[in-house]
Amino acid sequence: MTIIEISELSKSYRVYQKQEGLRAAIQGLWKREYRNVDAVKSIDLKVEQGEFVAFLGPNGAGKTTTLKLLSGVIYPTSGNATVMGHVPWERNNDYRRRFALVMGQKNQLWWDLPAQESFRLHQQIYQIEKNEFERSLDELSDLLSVRGLLGRPVRELSLGERMKMELIAALLHSPEVLFLDEPTIGLDVIAQHNIQQFLKYYQAERKITILLTSHYMKDIAALCKRVVVITDGQIQFDGSLDDIIESFSGQRILRLQLAEGQSADGLERFAAVESIELPRVTLRCPRADATKSLGEILQHYQVDDISVEDPPLEEVIAKLYTAPPEKAE
Amino acid sequence: MQAMQITTRVACWWMIFRTALEERLAYRGDFALGTLMRFLPIVTQIFLWWAVFESVGGGNAEEGRLVGYTFRNMVAYYLLSMLGRAFSSMPGLASVTAKQIREGEIKKYLVQPIDMIGFMLLGRLAHKVAYYTIATLPFALVFFLCRSYFDGWPTPETMAAFAISLVLAFLLGFFLDLCIGLIGFWFLEVSSLLFVYMLLNFFLSGHMFPLDLLPSPWATIVDYLPFRYLAYFPAAIFLGKVDPDRLWIEVGIEFLWLLVMIAVARFLYARGVRRYSGYGG
Amino acid sequence: MLAASGATADMEVDMANTDKKNSAKPSQYKIKHPSYLGVYLTFARNSLVRDMMFRTNFILEAISSLAWSFMNIGFYWIIFEHASSIGQQTGWGKYEFFVFMGTTWIINSIVQAFFMPNSEEFSELIRTGGLDFAMLKPIDTQFLISFRKVSWSSLSNLVLGFMLLGISLSQLMQRPENPWQFEISMLVLYPLYIFCGVSILYSLMICLAATSVWLGRNQTLYDFWFYITNFSRYPMEIYARGWGFPLWLIFTFVIPVLVVVNVPARLLAQPLTPRASWEWPLAGFTLLAAAVSILVSRWVFNTALGAYRSASS
Repeated sequence: MTIIEISELSKSYRVYQKQEGLRAAIQGLWKREYRNVDAVKSIDLKVEQGEFVAFLGPNGAGKTTTLKLLSGVIYPTSGNATVMGHVPWERNNDYRRRFALVMGQKNQLWWDLPAQESFRLHQQIYQIEKNEFERSLDELSDLLSVRGLLGRPVRELSLGERMKMELIAALLHSPEVLFLDEPTIGLDVIAQHNIQQFLKYYQAERKITILLTSHYMKDIAALCKRVVVITDGQIQFDGSLDDIIESFSGQRILRLQLAEGQSADGLERFAAVESIELPRVTLRCPRADATKSLGEILQHYQVDDISVEDPPLEEVIAKLYTAPPEKAE
Repeated sequence: MQAMQITTRVACWWMIFRTALEERLAYRGDFALGTLMRFLPIVTQIFLWWAVFESVGGGNAEEGRLVGYTFRNMVAYYLLSMLGRAFSSMPGLASVTAKQIREGEIKKYLVQPIDMIGFMLLGRLAHKVAYYTIATLPFALVFFLCRSYFDGWPTPETMAAFAISLVLAFLLGFFLDLCIGLIGFWFLEVSSLLFVYMLLNFFLSGHMFPLDLLPSPWATIVDYLPFRYLAYFPAAIFLGKVDPDRLWIEVGIEFLWLLVMIAVARFLYARGVRRYSGYGG
Repeated sequence: MLAASGATADMEVDMANTDKKNSAKPSQYKIKHPSYLGVYLTFARNSLVRDMMFRTNFILEAISSLAWSFMNIGFYWIIFEHASSIGQQTGWGKYEFFVFMGTTWIINSIVQAFFMPNSEEFSELIRTGGLDFAMLKPIDTQFLISFRKVSWSSLSNLVLGFMLLGISLSQLMQRPENPWQFEISMLVLYPLYIFCGVSILYSLMICLAATSVWLGRNQTLYDFWFYITNFSRYPMEIYARGWGFPLWLIFTFVIPVLVVVNVPARLLAQPLTPRASWEWPLAGFTLLAAAVSILVSRWVFNTALGAYRSASS
């Protein structure tokens, strides 16, 4: 069942162009120059129920704008979108009761109050049955292991703990669709991992549909089968992570463990040398040449161990952001 | 060598000033609205005082006298005290200072070769200059429209004293507010204190009404406080309410108050920084 | 103290819950509409819990708003040392005017306690993009924004206002001509017009706050608010001359802040008979103005949401 359907969705802003210098600042008092920024340019997308989709892209690519459009917080310049049959920016209560948005950089909990007070407010706003509320709160706070922190003012919580509370606040009303905007931003590795684990479990358990934007490849690698790459307001790529690597990385990394006493001299004849820390050597070569190079190296050198890997995901993605896809193979 | 240092210093101060000025000018909406609105209270004051003088004058407001003020004097007083406040009021200075201390932004001044008080003074100066660029026109317009409330120009000597008192009012206002803000070194939450201070300031500076109206014990107390120089004093000079023989003595006293407040601010800052570094930030 | 207040507040919420259960008929209906009262009580409770966490600040805030009021009494006390009334033959003598002032405080403290912190926060939410969260909630966004916080300390002036009212009215009972008399109609009309006044001020405030969507940072907003409402703090008779007349027209019929305090205060302070012929139409107009203001505020609020751009991160 298609949950989210976006067609030709566009959003552009008019931005005041601030000029450099004092004179320009004074002129700016009565004459201003504006610039149109196309944050989202005619996006088409379909998401099925129960999918966990990652939005990937550099800063300002339009990921967050897309999420905000889908949340109904802003109106599109043109185009259509429906989420569970609702047009988001009509913002009717039926729709708003069925989804949630979590933003890693903003918080919606009352800063000076314990999180449970904010939760109780959510109970009121979303009209969650008392029993249902207690049950979800118990379950969520156990899953995220923050039960002991519910009574502590939010401002005293660490960033990771706060994010967990934000997640609870978002999930208390059991949304069917969840939008996550950089939920792990600024968190340490452990907290990131905890949240990933939680999201993975929760999504699998509830079969809800999740759209996530993140800068951390680990988030995406751990969670999402489907990745949508957005650059400059357009969808560059839509497919699985493996596909990305397949089609955007024309290269392989060869890791060698040379035998004792074996010198690494002359390896550059067969493949580009990335690093040499004897006995370990890292090489890189075009995907198509990998087998050939490896064969030649094995002929000329004594090698104890060997592995062939894809380049790190970050690197592939960075390339994806900047360059059009190389049609590999 | 010495000269070089001074020029680089001046260049540095100039940069700071310009940056602050640019920042201020960036917010057009604020400015336009703000300046326009600033004159609205005067309008209600005019009507209120007309009604009061009408009652005092037994039906004829022009005839009414209140401690030597005619109705026209009273309106002129409010206009002039507005001008005084335009120099001496420092919106946000105390709270921003306290906030910088609370949030540790003050470290930046300890690390960089910038004197915080000097930096803030320049920032404030830029703030004021930006304000005057926009506000001069409406001010001139209002004074022109209200010229009938004034009894003509005072003597050049009085004008000189008036101008000096305005400049001193700016400096005095700055250092008074700064001192309040620096209290933030000792108390973390000063917003309510600031509000009480603001109210006292409003009342005691003569912004609310001419201080001559105060009954006897209060009038004397207010005379010995620095606040009267922020609004009442310049207006009183202009309206000839200050005894000409004592004019320069009074200006001298205002100057002494300024020196005292500079010393207090320096002292609080030095002690505060010591305390701050003592706690390890 | 803290625990105790928490407990009573809990009871309130529980009461709200039972209320709901009792009134709940078809469950489908209940799901469609959040319980606005329940949400509001939770807001009020959370604000109280928060206020009690910063008790010193709470007390200081209360003191400072009282200080402002006392300064005002001082100012008018000084004026009435010199003048017998505000304006010739307007009937606004010392204690009549203090009734007026008491009414001003009552209305202002209600506005400051229930709406001011929210409007302030509204422009802040627009600026920081925090409005996103409010817009996601399945509840009327204007309700959510307008009632989120209660500044309990501002109610100190409400108490002071009633005290001033009591003292002044008892003084007016000794008024040589037309001594003040209690009328049962006052008990209905006074609160009604207080409510109208608060509605008008609330609407004006939320409209002003909404302009942050277009104007960006808007520090002068509260100056503007202060200057506009400044007109409401005096008896409208003082504008009845020369170029005061257009002002009177504007602030009665365009931005109706003049009727906010004048109508309820006049109702209480001035003898019921004789009434000038213009007073009853004015009273009727006030009801209309309150209703229209609310509608206008709703329109402005929704327009602002439409133009809201949501600051990125």
